[in-house]
Amino acid sequence: MRLAFSLGFVLLGPVLIFGQQRSFVTCPIVRDTKTVPCFLAEYEGETYFLGIQQDITSDFHPPQLKHEVLVEGRMAEGPRVCGGIPLKPVAISVLKEVNLACNTLLPAEPGIEAPPAARPAGPSHGPLTLAAPHETFTGIHEFTVLYAFDDDYLEFGGNHVVTEAADYAKRIGASNVKITGYRATSVLSNGSRMVEKAGLAEKRAQDIATLLRGLGVSGISANWKSDAEPGDGSTDALRRRVTILVTP
Amino acid sequence: MRRTLLVVLALPLAVTLSAQYQSSLKDVWVEPGSGAVLPEFDAFDSVDGTLGVLNASGEVNTEGHPFFKALGTNGRACVSCHQPGWGMSVSAAELTQRWHVTSGKDPVFAAFDGSNCPSLPQDQESSHSLLLKRGLFRIPLVWPPRNADGSPKPVEFKIDVVRDPTGCNTSAEYGLKSAQPTISVYRRPRPAANLKYVTSGAQPIVLKTGRLAYLDPDTGRPVSMNLMTDAREPSLRTQAISAILGHEQANVSPARQQLDRIIDFESQVYMSQQAHIFGGPLAVQGGPPGLGVAALRDHKAGVLGDNDRDPVFGLFNTWKGNDYYRSSVARGADIFMFRQFWIRDTAHINSIGLGNPLKRTCATCHNAQMTGQDLSAGWVDVGTTNFPTWTEPSTWAESSELPVFKITCSKDADPHPYLGRVIYTTDPGRALISGKCVDVGSIVMQQLRGLAARAPYFAGGSAKTLREVVDFYDRRFDMKLTDGEKEDLINFLGAL
Repeated sequence: MRLAFSLGFVLLGPVLIFGQQRSFVTCPIVRDTKTVPCFLAEYEGETYFLGIQQDITSDFHPPQLKHEVLVEGRMAEGPRVCGGIPLKPVAISVLKEVNLACNTLLPAEPGIEAPPAARPAGPSHGPLTLAAPHETFTGIHEFTVLYAFDDDYLEFGGNHVVTEAADYAKRIGASNVKITGYRATSVLSNGSRMVEKAGLAEKRAQDIATLLRGLGVSGISANWKSDAEPGDGSTDALRRRVTILVTP
Repeated sequence: MRRTLLVVLALPLAVTLSAQYQSSLKDVWVEPGSGAVLPEFDAFDSVDGTLGVLNASGEVNTEGHPFFKALGTNGRACVSCHQPGWGMSVSAAELTQRWHVTSGKDPVFAAFDGSNCPSLPQDQESSHSLLLKRGLFRIPLVWPPRNADGSPKPVEFKIDVVRDPTGCNTSAEYGLKSAQPTISVYRRPRPAANLKYVTSGAQPIVLKTGRLAYLDPDTGRPVSMNLMTDAREPSLRTQAISAILGHEQANVSPARQQLDRIIDFESQVYMSQQAHIFGGPLAVQGGPPGLGVAALRDHKAGVLGDNDRDPVFGLFNTWKGNDYYRSSVARGADIFMFRQFWIRDTAHINSIGLGNPLKRTCATCHNAQMTGQDLSAGWVDVGTTNFPTWTEPSTWAESSELPVFKITCSKDADPHPYLGRVIYTTDPGRALISGKCVDVGSIVMQQLRGLAARAPYFAGGSAKTLREVVDFYDRRFDMKLTDGEKEDLINFLGAL
């Protein structure tokens, strides 16, 4: 999810200037298909396609029924998918409190098909590869771990980033590993603002420091920005983060 | 009770039964200090068939062996609750028989945890009802939980005792408000067999929490966190120490050499269903490769089986179109691997980035090859202990003998992802160790081998039969299984 957003921003930067930003909170909708389910969301009378069910290794982690979701994405060009305008890149944040009203599961219908899925709804075709390939880094390198709104849970993608940072720091015998935690503001399409809870930047930074120490990294300093990063309604999901600056 | 059916194994295996073992175990119950010799392979009656137990390192002389010798003060040994004839666990039916045979004097009924509460009159059957009816031992856990240095862990919720049919949780001596605040939950003993699978799959960071895994205090390496109902002990060594000081009520820790022998024994013993009363031997040439104890001995541990080419328990294709029983088992295997349904509202499955609901199969969660546990640290709230999906009666008038706790999460904590901030539960599971609201009701998945020998099922012993297990999942996830499909699943599970 957040990795997809990150890649879209870092590698496909120009994509972000296409289409209109949509940031809103709503109940998600699950649409069954003859293959994997689609995840949708409605906002101001329009339906948006968020993504499909995939695997834990996927960049897109779907929303959850029984919870509202903060959707932050850009309307992508191209045809509707599963009946919705695709948002891509898109960041999904499942809000913590239970909301029993969020319970819409629609049956499959002829003519509504999910895009091709790397993994079917049942078992994977052949053994699943859980470890993503490691990249090669040199010199000073900054790793970024992204989070869902108001959340400190390290998802699979973040787990991979931390592991990569630890491996790199140990390989080069890093002289310094500087961790900085942030919390952020999300500006919604209706103009309202959502600010992550106080203390979250410290919690994120301390958690990552604990993980890195546990993975055998030394020379760690943990810092955090107590004030929430301001939002711009466009790149807010990228500001909910911890950076790990590894210096040889 | 010993079964005379000759069991044919796929691999050469010493099938001869030790004469000494046979003569000393006319009742297959192994008493501590009996001095029996366990053969390399042995077979025992189980429901509808035969359970196989394999000592991969050869026959085991139990004379003076610390797994079979009482190390504490109550006469129990490890074997008291981990009996070869019952899949290295123990069944409620056998415990009931044991009560009658020994007039309740067997050390397995020790007041400390073999009764509903030590404060009850120990000579009365009713004081041991949870053990006799459900195979449940009392697990007293200090509250709040402690760090390794003895300091209290921060906890995210308040716990109140709502119902206390055993009297232990409100007891002035043993309860939550006693001098050493303690919560008593009641749980089934897990099989002390096939443990290379249970202890494999360790990752430095636990997928379900995003936090560091426990470390083995001896090796400093991460552990699987799949031992025990709540993963509270990191290694076989610490588990053994805890069990000997607790269940055996020893006054001192066992010696290192004793622990080594216990671990050596546990690490080489395998058990599984070996034959079916109508289907005959299960581990046969050309048959499903995952059946039988020899397969467990020989297979690699720590392999993810949630795929269609090398499934959790291997392919059952050669049994399709075979006789009635084998065809049914093969259909059950297909349901387990491939029958899609909506997995929903399951903490630590739906809540870890997979989405809610998730259209998948049984093998999504029961994904570890050969045992069907979760290859990652496997605590999950499937709903067996939390209201309203719990396996207990749902109305006051029909309440069970289990205690009921009310969990109230603090406003600053992340709530349980599907039950919110107020949860009623018969066993908070992992939350009693982690102190976290999201863990309330999460129970470490159990291995699925040798099931026919060790009813009842689920951590709280709430399913008397495999039919009740299948009915629970059918109800819980609206699987809409037909009676025929349920029979196929039961036959499949019973063959493992």
